[in-house]
Amino acid sequence: MTSHDRTVAVLGAGTMGSGIATVAVRAGYRTLIHDLDDERVARGVQTVRGFLAKSAKLGKLTEDEAAAASARIEGTTALTDLAGAGVVIEAIFENLDAKRELFRELDGIVGKDTLFHTNTSTLSVTGIAAGSSLPERVVGTHYCNPAPLMKLVEVAGGRHTASWAHRATLEFLASVGKTTVVTKDRPGFIVNRFLIPWENSCIQALENGLGTKESIDAAVTGALGHPMGPFKLLDVVGMDIHQQVATRLYEQLRDPKFFPPPMVDRMVSAGDLGRKTGRGFYTYDDNRLFGS
Amino acid sequence: MSDIHNVAVLGFGTMGAGIVQVVAASGRPVTVLDTDQDRADAGLARLRAFLDGGVRRGKLTEAGRDELLDRVRPVTDLAALASCDLVIEAVTERADVKRDLLARVAAVVAGDALIVTNTSALSVTDLAGSVPNPGRVAGLHFFNPAPLMKVVEVVRALQSEPGVAERLSAFVEDLGKDPVVVKDRPGFLVNHLLLPYLNDVIAEYDAELASAEDIDTAMRLGLGYKLGPLELLDLIGLDVHEHATRSAYDATLDPRFAPPPLLRQMVAAGYHGDKNGQGFRTEKGNAQ
Repeated sequence: MTSHDRTVAVLGAGTMGSGIATVAVRAGYRTLIHDLDDERVARGVQTVRGFLAKSAKLGKLTEDEAAAASARIEGTTALTDLAGAGVVIEAIFENLDAKRELFRELDGIVGKDTLFHTNTSTLSVTGIAAGSSLPERVVGTHYCNPAPLMKLVEVAGGRHTASWAHRATLEFLASVGKTTVVTKDRPGFIVNRFLIPWENSCIQALENGLGTKESIDAAVTGALGHPMGPFKLLDVVGMDIHQQVATRLYEQLRDPKFFPPPMVDRMVSAGDLGRKTGRGFYTYDDNRLFGS
Repeated sequence: MSDIHNVAVLGFGTMGAGIVQVVAASGRPVTVLDTDQDRADAGLARLRAFLDGGVRRGKLTEAGRDELLDRVRPVTDLAALASCDLVIEAVTERADVKRDLLARVAAVVAGDALIVTNTSALSVTDLAGSVPNPGRVAGLHFFNPAPLMKVVEVVRALQSEPGVAERLSAFVEDLGKDPVVVKDRPGFLVNHLLLPYLNDVIAEYDAELASAEDIDTAMRLGLGYKLGPLELLDLIGLDVHEHATRSAYDATLDPRFAPPPLLRQMVAAGYHGDKNGQGFRTEKGNAQ
């Protein structure tokens, strides 16, 4: 493999971006993480290195492996530094224009065969791809949070995605140890497409008095074997996030089952967002997530 | 502690046998009624085979199996139920059959014996109407396979007297299960949530969102579900799901419960899932 093939660029140093960068460095790729200012970039690099250090402490990686992976991450605020990347993974905030503009700028910087991946969860891959003059190289690759721990990536080509780009994307994701499923460029892909109406109907059942939050969580975990009941899960996801994702799916699909029930708006208005604020459906003594 | 000691189960089919096992395992004598000796023998053989599996896997001793089986008394005569505190009905999911049987049971048992139905698709309130003293009727909805599933829905009928749900909850806890008290609404709680989700998946699979395998993989890995929705449907049985969701649709006219066209066609073609090797994820008879 050439050095070009071994270089990954991640756009956006937030939770998803730094998680995806961790996946790439762990798999041996030299990885550049890009964001708009030095502070964010530094925080992203620190998140990657912190995760690797913790993996070493837990015995998931040897000290040498963690050190080598840590050395493969680099931060930048200059898009021109991404010139040598074989794969560019966009993981910025969910704004269509911003994502398009980024791909348009990158067109003039990277090679013509560089893959463009978008980690969008609710926007159209085709819509984002339209920002690039080479939309055939753009593929949707939707990681789950936390990306270093979750095996699944949903892969969705846009209207103009070329078969070579699709194939190369599946190869890349296999090389970083992910399990891929192939889906279509439709709102919510697979997981959110089914999860959002499910969560909404559980919230409606609660509002309609079919059960209490405790009894519904207990029934779902006990009878269906889900690892978490719907309300425990919503508290982890965050009510603001659920509201955003549900609203975006509703706007595109116009099917009421995607529309967040009124209780969601009330909880968001009250600041009861879930674990991160200490209160959602349940109250929490601390706001730790994923046992960190 | 539960005040229910002497239990009868009506119907020795799959659900009946599972419930008999759970109740007998709690140390209670169980009388099992079926229509003829052949069906009663077949039910007992099914229960014994299941227990033998437990013995092979070291979950149960041979002595434990024999003691459990000793507590099970298959009968074909309704009069044998006279001394029961609790009757659990688990016969075929047909309202006319259940109503007729419950009325005949009510005529035999003591006036204060509880009569419950394990229906998943019918209205408990409606079935309670077939009994002269419907205040003692409720639903006790075990999930399949009953010995393995932790949750039991305790369904309050409109007529259920105060205290009945509490007595049944204490009984369920005595069986080592978690009772969830629910209203008598189509699908109760779990199926009320599950049926629309499964229908939605079938419709999107039919609309070629992804392969059956990839849909299951996405839901298992993305959400940590033990089973993906399509393999779950194969396990439940497509005919069983179709009946449950059609009943909920008939009762509500809520389109989320309407059986999707592909489901209807698979059932019409005789594809019933794992039990006959033809379903969404089975080698033979894959839908597409």
